[in-house]
Amino acid sequence: MPSYVARRLAYSIPVLLIASFLLFAFVRATFDPTARLRASRDPHAIQRERARLGLDKPIVVQYKDWLVKFTHGDWGQSSRTHDRVAPMVRGALWNTIQLIFWGILVSAVVAIAIGIYSAVRQYSLGDYAFTSLSFIGLAMPPFWFGLIAIQFLAAGPRNWFHLTNPPFFFVGLHSVDASGVVDYARHLVLPVLTLTVQIIASWSRYERASMLDAMSGDYVRAARAKGLSSWGVIFKHAFRNALIPLVTVMALDIGLLFGGLVITEQIFSIPGMGKLFIDSLIQGDANVLVVWTVVTAAFVIGFNLLADVAYGALDPRIRYA
Amino acid sequence: MRHVRRSSPLLVVLLALSLVAAACGGGGKKSSTSGSSNAPNGGTLVVGAEQEPDCMDWIGSCSGSSWGYWIANVETTPHAYNVVKKGSSWGYEPSNLITGEADLKTSPQQVVTYHINPQAKWSDGQPITAHDFKYMWDQIANGSDIYDATGYKNIQSVDDSNASAPVVTFKTPYADWKSLFGGQYGIMPSHLLEGKDRDAETANGYTWSGGPWMMPPGGWQKGSQLTLVPNPNYWGTKPKLDKIVYKFITDTSAEFQAFKANQTMVIYPQPQPDAVDQIKAGVPGVNQYFTDQTGNLEALWFNNGKAPFDDVKVRQAWGYAVDRAAVVNRLFGPLGVKTPMNTINPTILKDYADPTAWAKYTLDVNKVSQLMTSAGWAKGADGIWAKNGQKFTAEIRSTTGNKRRELTEQILQQQLQAAGFQLTINNAKAGDLFGSILPKGDYQVALYAQVLTSFSPTNCAIMCASNIPNAGNKFSGQNWGRINVPQLTDLYTKVDTELDEAARMADNKKADPIAADNDVALPIDPLPNILLWSKKIAGPVGDNPIMGPFWNSNLWGLNK
Repeated sequence: MPSYVARRLAYSIPVLLIASFLLFAFVRATFDPTARLRASRDPHAIQRERARLGLDKPIVVQYKDWLVKFTHGDWGQSSRTHDRVAPMVRGALWNTIQLIFWGILVSAVVAIAIGIYSAVRQYSLGDYAFTSLSFIGLAMPPFWFGLIAIQFLAAGPRNWFHLTNPPFFFVGLHSVDASGVVDYARHLVLPVLTLTVQIIASWSRYERASMLDAMSGDYVRAARAKGLSSWGVIFKHAFRNALIPLVTVMALDIGLLFGGLVITEQIFSIPGMGKLFIDSLIQGDANVLVVWTVVTAAFVIGFNLLADVAYGALDPRIRYA
Repeated sequence: MRHVRRSSPLLVVLLALSLVAAACGGGGKKSSTSGSSNAPNGGTLVVGAEQEPDCMDWIGSCSGSSWGYWIANVETTPHAYNVVKKGSSWGYEPSNLITGEADLKTSPQQVVTYHINPQAKWSDGQPITAHDFKYMWDQIANGSDIYDATGYKNIQSVDDSNASAPVVTFKTPYADWKSLFGGQYGIMPSHLLEGKDRDAETANGYTWSGGPWMMPPGGWQKGSQLTLVPNPNYWGTKPKLDKIVYKFITDTSAEFQAFKANQTMVIYPQPQPDAVDQIKAGVPGVNQYFTDQTGNLEALWFNNGKAPFDDVKVRQAWGYAVDRAAVVNRLFGPLGVKTPMNTINPTILKDYADPTAWAKYTLDVNKVSQLMTSAGWAKGADGIWAKNGQKFTAEIRSTTGNKRRELTEQILQQQLQAAGFQLTINNAKAGDLFGSILPKGDYQVALYAQVLTSFSPTNCAIMCASNIPNAGNKFSGQNWGRINVPQLTDLYTKVDTELDEAARMADNKKADPIAADNDVALPIDPLPNILLWSKKIAGPVGDNPIMGPFWNSNLWGLNK
């Protein structure tokens, strides 16, 4: 197992290098970090900035300079904010992790519960209802659902019931002059809800299909024939096997989420990885974007690896070579 | 494997606890003011800010954000002159940093002597001195990472031998000298920054101040909010509020919802259709202020150096083919702004403008026909103008994702089609448009705004022939329209160097009809400013088209 993990990690290094170089070259080719200086009346401002950022050097040299510094622990400076890149990414990642953690926790619990219920009670009224709701959930884009949630769960209730403040907040993760778990929770509800709607809809469908597949297996029939209780069969035998395909999907989805929740973070003014990416992309801030790529890719690779490891835990027949 | 399975719930619980711990950490123009200046003391004002500044090194290349200037620069750095309303006009007025108008000598060289208010001091109690002026000049004129050195490069020396009276001597005359040592920069404390890396000391915020407000340590939580508290050593009127918090909310819909839900108490949204629609739908129980008195000018900017707009008759024909009043009414009618701009100068520069220069350009299909026919064009069977077998097709460029501009383009497309012109829309990202497409002249006509950063006409930068970008100057000029009218170049060059303000006004005014006759560009609207604020706020709330709406927030208070 350790050699398997080490080999997988070694394979990921060229992937990270290629991905970071492609993004670096793409950003340099398409976005001009000196563009905002066009508003300056000073005709030499752009030339000075190009020289400072080394933009006159060939792209490969620029990338090599960045890579050498990166491998020595210097993640560079943002051309947009003049801030160090490491603390910028760290701060954004922490905000995104908070959203992802609660979003995934809620999504996994709800989606698995719905999936199991729908499979066990296939073609029941409840199954039809959850199926319909999941299709509605899949069809709801976050930018629309987020604003609807704000209107009907925050701004609307405040006006309808003449409250001083809305029941749930939707600007950032903390109130001004307030802190504590309750304030934090009131800020989290709407972005987490916006994040989870599509995920629950998607994962619950996977779980339902996997459970139906597992429950039609011979080993489940054998367990039933031995006289095991219905719930015992479902949770000890069918559910464990049904988790394997869902784990694959979850691992991919979660890894990608670390790249940021662009729309959700924008609507709820949360300075996470998605917002950092957009702000940096618009101003051609290659140093930040390349680090963003490496961090995101690392999470995707890490979660894929985690999924592979989880297969072994869920199915003892799986061995690593 | 079993070990992994057993530890997973523990990991989840630990992560959950750490996250919980994180939770515990931390037109229809209305009145321009509300309440009286006898605002109550205390309270926290929360403002919704549409943009976050990239950095707070105001003279560095990372600066240039309007919001950064409005919410932090103006409040924390002293400026020699403010831009204020004088009757129905706007103009410079000495701030309380100086005791009165600076002494101006115009010959043999331009020399300006400021008299610093003896009470003026930094937040640490140190006096503001002539050496601070000299430090600023040195940093801007000789620095390597400067946003805009215009004007400071004209300075020959700053004499700080008299600590209370800096004497600024110019190598070459600079007409907009009142924007220096103030304007978009303000003054920084030399005793704290000299000999250090200014950018490193200030880019992420600073705790010194020479204005009514100051940033407490950690006051700038990037991506989230900026907090200002009163500067206890401010020599002018001290702020009445305990604190102002600017919350960064970049989504317009969420910005309005936050305002309606009392999460913010002031917003200053851009005049996008979303914002205009929200106002049209009604925002009850708040004060609203809309004004067309701004430093902005949105226009159709023709590429005068590229066919078909290298022909003055075609440009003039477009002037008569577009119903500009209909465009403005559609965009800003609900704000009470319905009249198109008829000068190439923003409305606040009315003393420098001929406000009727473009008034002749109203929808008139007969004039379109006369002009196009005389230019050798003929209408085809499909009603589209053609010349030498080629149909008239022009491409308009603007900024992708700007809904107001996209709507404007669609209206123009319909109007021009009716007059026999085909218009295709090909928008680009702002960085590409302003960074490459416009400077290199890879366009026929573009829609964007010019925005004043100081109270002075800057038309030479965008219309003098010497500022046409080309390979020789590495495409660094800002005359992207390739405007080459000798009379305009002469007049605008004079305006930039003339030290007699009345003569500047006259020359700039004289240029307007010449630019209109050549229809070098087609002005459309002034991009009105919108300010909405809670009725709880007392004090002289209003817009300042250059310094922003928060410039006098030290006079604001909050009613209980």
